[in-house]
Amino acid sequence: MASPTAADVLHRAAELRGTLTAQFRDETVKSIYAEAERVARRASHQTGSARYDFDQRIDRLVTSPIFGLPIMALMLATVFWLTVAGANVPSAMLANFFFWIEGHGAALFDSFGAPWWVTGFLWHGVYRGLAWVISVMLPPMAIFFPLFTILEDLGYLPRVAFNLDFLFRRAGAHGKQALTMAMGFGCNAAGVIATRVIDSPRERLVAILTNNFVPCNGRFPTLIMIATIFVGPLVPAAVASLAAAGAVVGVVIIGVIFTLAVSWGLSRTVLKGEASAFTLELPPYRRPGVMRILYTSLIDRTLFVLWRAILTAAPAGAVIWILANINIADISIARHIANGLNPLGHAIGLDGVVLLAYIIAIPANEIVVPTLLMVYMGTGMMTDVTSIEDVTNLLINQEGWTLLTAVNLMLFSLLHNPCATTIITIYKETLSIKWTTIGTLLPLGLAFLVTFIVASLW
Amino acid sequence: MPPALLMSLGGLALALVLYFAFGWNLRRRTDQTRHRLEDALKHLFDLEYRGRRGSLASLTGVLRVADRVALDLVSRMQTQSLLVTRGSEFDLTSEGKRLALQVIRAHRLLERYFADEARLPLPKVHAAAERGEHHLSPDAADRLSASLGHPVVDPHGDPIPTRDGFVPPAAGTPATAWPLEQLARVVHLEDEPPISYAQLVAAGVAVGQTMRIIASTPERLVMTDGENEFRLAPAVAANIFLAAAPRDSGQRSAARLADLATGQAAQVLGLDEACQGYSRRRLMDLGFTEGATIRPALSTFAGDPRAYEIRGTLVALRRDQASQVLVLPQEQVS
Repeated sequence: MASPTAADVLHRAAELRGTLTAQFRDETVKSIYAEAERVARRASHQTGSARYDFDQRIDRLVTSPIFGLPIMALMLATVFWLTVAGANVPSAMLANFFFWIEGHGAALFDSFGAPWWVTGFLWHGVYRGLAWVISVMLPPMAIFFPLFTILEDLGYLPRVAFNLDFLFRRAGAHGKQALTMAMGFGCNAAGVIATRVIDSPRERLVAILTNNFVPCNGRFPTLIMIATIFVGPLVPAAVASLAAAGAVVGVVIIGVIFTLAVSWGLSRTVLKGEASAFTLELPPYRRPGVMRILYTSLIDRTLFVLWRAILTAAPAGAVIWILANINIADISIARHIANGLNPLGHAIGLDGVVLLAYIIAIPANEIVVPTLLMVYMGTGMMTDVTSIEDVTNLLINQEGWTLLTAVNLMLFSLLHNPCATTIITIYKETLSIKWTTIGTLLPLGLAFLVTFIVASLW
Repeated sequence: MPPALLMSLGGLALALVLYFAFGWNLRRRTDQTRHRLEDALKHLFDLEYRGRRGSLASLTGVLRVADRVALDLVSRMQTQSLLVTRGSEFDLTSEGKRLALQVIRAHRLLERYFADEARLPLPKVHAAAERGEHHLSPDAADRLSASLGHPVVDPHGDPIPTRDGFVPPAAGTPATAWPLEQLARVVHLEDEPPISYAQLVAAGVAVGQTMRIIASTPERLVMTDGENEFRLAPAVAANIFLAAAPRDSGQRSAARLADLATGQAAQVLGLDEACQGYSRRRLMDLGFTEGATIRPALSTFAGDPRAYEIRGTLVALRRDQASQVLVLPQEQVS
């Protein structure tokens, strides 16, 4: 009998492989697990399970059909309230400090005899942009991120995904989208990257396109400020910060509703398909590590986001100063543009300045409020806006803002196009110009539509 | 601008447009010819595989082209020595078979990919693979096969040819020819024509089910998997291929994880055959293997998803996932 050739062997192997069923793979995994079990049983033994029972009791409470969702809303509200209530004072102190430096720096330049435009450009433009961003953003972030990291470290976030999955399932989306949304509270670009945990391409795309409807940290200062100025005074002073926090939670909930509605719409039109496999591990609760929380929240998140904001705020401050200080026919360029945008702005219950601010703020949403204030102040007339009262006075008494302006500004801030970093991230993650365009224009269109409807119905 | 210059510029622009349009059209047509040729090879191979022969009539029917086009195609295949005619019937040459197998391999691998990894709904898988098969080179098919873990059959149970052109023999007997009351396993669902395949999928018939035929008349064929009854027109049922059920199909006492009451402990028996690809790997990786003890621990507001305790961890699954896990409920001991 001739010895078999290599081709025969391969052929025979292919033939035999045909007789293997899927069970062959199952057997492999099964034996690995059996071996792991054997090793584990030899190497460790279990004494009591008090901790485990404790975990179970917490789990039963936070995922309870009755209390699960209210507990979640309460936690979210607490985090926002602590942020709103805690950030006011340090923000004002920082602002005071930075503007004190600005005044003295400008005076110093003047005493050297520097031309007005040098002083103006450097101190009232670049420096002021920086000072604003730091004093508006740093305190809320330094409170919000550690609190959020604690929840994350505890292991609570997967429970949120578990609780909310029934909504996402009905919207044809993945339950882990709740996790990516949670990341989006920090930064939408980070949220878009986090969608990698979703393994179905269709559902991942849904999560990417809708991540923007979660207000990121750069937009929170705007929301918090507007809520503080317009919602706070509607109620007795004692509960003003609670009401403001409630308003912010309300905006977040509207964002969640839009996320679900848009996911639902996408799943039935351009991204047709059924909800796919969903497996989610619920890890045991862990005591948060203090050092890790401080490191993650302050270095990884706060400083990272702040640094990015600073990088865009300095040039933006310069651009704003130039727009606000170069006059054509006695009116600044900024006012010219704002006047041009006014009809569109009024149609959606806002004004041209707000739209201009959002155009300048495309690189980073953090600088919307500073831009607004600087353009409203006009040609460097701003001496000091050190307290929230000054801002209130400026917006309500001088610029004629109403509750409608506030509501629509919050809605616009929630829904409008993502910032440049997020847009670039969407492109990097999808590698598709089409989806990047949709991810940019869909929210923008929706923002105009919703604010227009609200303004018309008001 | 002088009119002469204008006219010559316009002429140039027109020439450019025509040139590109012609080039594009030419490319489209060569592509179309190649696709038709590959489809024709596939069809002829498929017939030979079932012991029949292709003819001009069968080609025009399958490709939905005019006789003239089919004739042109046949002569093209003859000059490339892919096919020889024998009377009015065609025989593929070995080269023709090799090419046909390449296309079939690409098609079935793509079906596997679309069903398991991209998780397209089953009725859409075939059409997507029809389009993709012409664009997958043999090397790319090898890579795809490796990344899928060298699957042996496509989602309908058709064998996937190996790279060197080996096809396992056809398995299964049409359900219409299967004896009554004898346990059988569904090994293959014919995916052509799409309408009857969609009917099978809608009825809930899937590869891997264990079936028993209860009644077979010229009007109706009734079969059961022990739980549901399937009533099918014989023409549709003929697309179900059965083979003898493996070992003892004693899954009578098996329940589905999704149907367990909260707190009721059970032992995992295995995963449903319908659960393949990514979903199967994921569940196996999480420890849903035979013998593991499992207990539904937490339920949400809507009752779906639920969290299950397995191997000392909690894993949340939606109802569709949980119903793919077969379990043996344990009697409450203590």
